[in-house]
Amino acid sequence: MVQKDSYITEGSPYGIYKLRVEGLNLYYGTKQALKDISIKIAPNTVTAFIGPSGCGKSTFLRCFNRMNDLIENVTITGSVMVDDIDIYKNMIDVYQYRKKIGMVFQKPNPFPKSIFENVAFGLRINGESSKSVLQGIVESALRQAALWEEVKDNLNKSALTLSGGQQQRLCIARAIAVKPSVLLMDEPASSLDPISTAKIEELIYQLKDQFTIVIVTHNMQQAARVSDKTAFFYLGELIEFDKTDKIFTNPSKEATQNYITGRFG
Amino acid sequence: MTHLQSELKLLKTDIIEMWELVIEQLDKSLISLKTFDKDLTREVVSNEKRVNAYELKIDRDCENIFALFNPVAVDLRMVLATLKINSNLERIGDIAEGISKLITSEKEPFDQVLLECTRFQLMFEAAILIVNDALTAFDKEDTKLARTIFKKDELLDEINADAHQFITIYIKDHLDKTEQALNVLSIIRRLERVGDQGKNIAEEIIFYLEAKVLKHK
Amino acid sequence: MNRKHLISPKSQDKLFKIFAALCTGLVLLTLLVLLIDIGIKGIQRINWSFFTNLPSRHPEESGIYTALAGMVGLLFFTVIIALPIGILSGIYLQEYGKRNKLAKFIEINISNLAGVPSVIYGILGLQLFVRTAGFGNSILSGALTLALLIMPVIIVSTREAIKAVPDSLREASFGLGATKWQTVRRVVLPASFGGILTGIILSTSRAIGETAPLIVVGALAYVPFVPEGPMDQYTSLPIQIFNWTSRPQQGFVVNAAAGIIVLLLFTFILNGTAIYLRNRWYKKTAI
Repeated sequence: MVQKDSYITEGSPYGIYKLRVEGLNLYYGTKQALKDISIKIAPNTVTAFIGPSGCGKSTFLRCFNRMNDLIENVTITGSVMVDDIDIYKNMIDVYQYRKKIGMVFQKPNPFPKSIFENVAFGLRINGESSKSVLQGIVESALRQAALWEEVKDNLNKSALTLSGGQQQRLCIARAIAVKPSVLLMDEPASSLDPISTAKIEELIYQLKDQFTIVIVTHNMQQAARVSDKTAFFYLGELIEFDKTDKIFTNPSKEATQNYITGRFG
Repeated sequence: MTHLQSELKLLKTDIIEMWELVIEQLDKSLISLKTFDKDLTREVVSNEKRVNAYELKIDRDCENIFALFNPVAVDLRMVLATLKINSNLERIGDIAEGISKLITSEKEPFDQVLLECTRFQLMFEAAILIVNDALTAFDKEDTKLARTIFKKDELLDEINADAHQFITIYIKDHLDKTEQALNVLSIIRRLERVGDQGKNIAEEIIFYLEAKVLKHK
Repeated sequence: MNRKHLISPKSQDKLFKIFAALCTGLVLLTLLVLLIDIGIKGIQRINWSFFTNLPSRHPEESGIYTALAGMVGLLFFTVIIALPIGILSGIYLQEYGKRNKLAKFIEINISNLAGVPSVIYGILGLQLFVRTAGFGNSILSGALTLALLIMPVIIVSTREAIKAVPDSLREASFGLGATKWQTVRRVVLPASFGGILTGIILSTSRAIGETAPLIVVGALAYVPFVPEGPMDQYTSLPIQIFNWTSRPQQGFVVNAAAGIIVLLLFTFILNGTAIYLRNRWYKKTAI
C-alpha cells in the first residue's frame, strides 16, 4: 500500500488528470440515466466502477469512447475531457479518437478470423499493411497480454479455437495493439472461470504501468484487488469516489457501506 | 508474482524492519545498563515512537489486505500471524523503553555483584536471543527454530523465579542499594515478559506455517 | 384429481410417436414413389446426345441442349441483376437504415413480396419489361422478371445473415476506431458471408424451377438455336419439360422424365452446396 499512495497526485488543479468529467448528464430519450457526474482520473491508475445493475456504470464507461453514439436517442450534456480535450465537441474525429481509447467487453468477442488478424485488425484499418511491422506489433501486443507463449505457434488458427480466458486476453491484445493510452474494461472477467479471472486481474495490475485503466465490475472483490481508486454508482449518481482501500475499509457514505457489505436492500 | 504476493512481501519486509528495530532497542538497553550510558537510554526512549509508528502502519496494511484481497489459507494465516506478532513486538518495544527509563532514573552504576548473583546479564542476552531467533524463524519460515524458543523461555522463567530470593538476600546485605535492587528486580520481571511475548510469537509462527494451534496447551 | 385415463399417458406418448412416424413415412413414401417412377422412365433416355441434341419432332432425337443453354443464360443474368441490388439493399436496411415506421413498412412489404405467387411477377414482367421497356420475349426480360422474383428472398436472407452477426463484434470494431464502412466490410460481411451465400443459392434454385412467370413473359417452347445474347429468344428446362408432357407421344413423356431428373439434380446440387456452406459457416462463427 506504500506504492499506492506515492503516485496518486491529488489536489493539483489542472493538467495532471488523464480523464476529467464535469457535470455529465445522459438521457435515453427522456429518461435520465446519469445525473451530474464529475470525476477526475489520474494517469497510470486503475479505477473501478462498482454499483448494482442498472446504476449507470457501464453507460458512463461508454461515454469515454463515445460508444453511446451508436445508440439512438441518447443525449449527453456536460463535458468529458481526455488529456484536457473535450471529446464531445464537434471538431473531434470520433474514429481517430476511439483509437486512443481501447475497450474490452464483457463477453470475449474475437472476430471470426485468425489470432494474428484479430490483433492486427486495428492496424489494418489504419492502413498498415507491411507484414514485418504487423508481425512486430502483434507479437509485442500478445506478449503484453500474457498470451504470446500460449499462441505463438498457432497464430494462423481461428481465434474461436481459444478458451474463453485466452479469447479475453486476445481481445486485450487487440485493444492494446493500436497503442491507446486509456483502456476501458466493461466487466472483463464476468464470463470467465476463476483461474482465467485471476489471470486477467494480474494482467490489469501489470498493464497500469502503460495505460490508464477504467474497469466496470459487478464483483466488488475484483474492484478491491485490482484498483487504486473506486467509484460507487447508484441510480445514475456517483455516490462516492475515493482510494480503494478507503472505500473498502472506511467508506464515507452509508450507501457505499451498505453496498459493499452486501446489506443493500 | 501476483499482486497479493507482492503486498504480502511488503508486509513481511515492514514487520521485519520493525522487528530489527525492537531488537536494537533491547540491545541498546542492555549496553546502556552495562556502561551506564544515559544518552543511549534516551535514544531508546525516543525511538519507541518509531516502533509505535510501525505498529500503526502494519495494522493498517493488514486491514487493507483483508479488505482488498480476502487472503485465504497460508496467506490468511500469514496476515493473521503478522497482525498478532505486530502487537507482541510493540509490547517488547514498550518493555525496552520501560527498562531504559528505569536505567535513566538510576543515580549510580549498577552493582556488579547484584547483576551477577541474579544471572541478570545471562537473562537479558537470552531474551534478546529469543526475539532474534523468532525473527530468523519467521523470515526463513523455520518452525524447528521457532520450537526451540519454548525451551529458551524456560531459562528466563527459572531466573525470574530465583530472582526474588537472591534480591531479598542482596537487600539484607546492602540496605543502601535497596532501590537499585528493586529496580533490577523490576527489570527481571520485564525481561520475563519479553520471553512470554517471544513464546507467543513462536506460537504464531507455527500457526502461520503449520496451521497448528499451540496456544493454551 | 385422480381421474382414470382411458389410455395411460405412457401409451398416449407411444401412440403419438407412431402416428407421427406414419405421417412422415407417408410423405417420404410418396416422394420415393415419384422419384422411382421418374427414374425408371427417364434414366434410359439420359445419355450424351440428350444433352447435345436440339429439340426435334422425334422424341428419340430430341435433346435439352437449347433449354439447358437458355436456363444457364437466364440464371446468369438473373443472378447478375438480383445479387448486387439484393445484397446492397439487405446491407442498407440492416446496417444503415433508421429503425422507424417507414423501415417497418418496407420490411413487412419485402417479406410479403417473397410470398407473392410467381405468376403475378410474370404479369408484372410482361407489362414492365416486355411491353413498356420493349425488351420483347428475350432472355433479358425473363432474367429481369426472375430477378424481381428472387430479390425479396435475397434481401431477407442477407438481412437475416447480417442480423446473426453478434453486436459485440460491431462494438469491438468500433471500439478499435473503425468506421461504419470498415466495420461492415471487414467484420460484418466476412462473418455473414456464409449466410448470404446460402440465401443466394437457395434463391437461385428457386429461380431454376420457375415456369409460370417465364410462360407469361414469353419464353418459347421450341427454340431450334442457342441464344447468343441477352436480347435473344430462349427457352428453359422447366418450359421444355412442360412442353414435352403436353405432347401425346409416349417418347416425349420419357424425355420429360429425363429432363426432370436433370432439373432435380441441379436443385439438389445447389441445395446441397447451400447446406454445406451453412454448416461450415456456423462452425466458424459460433461463439
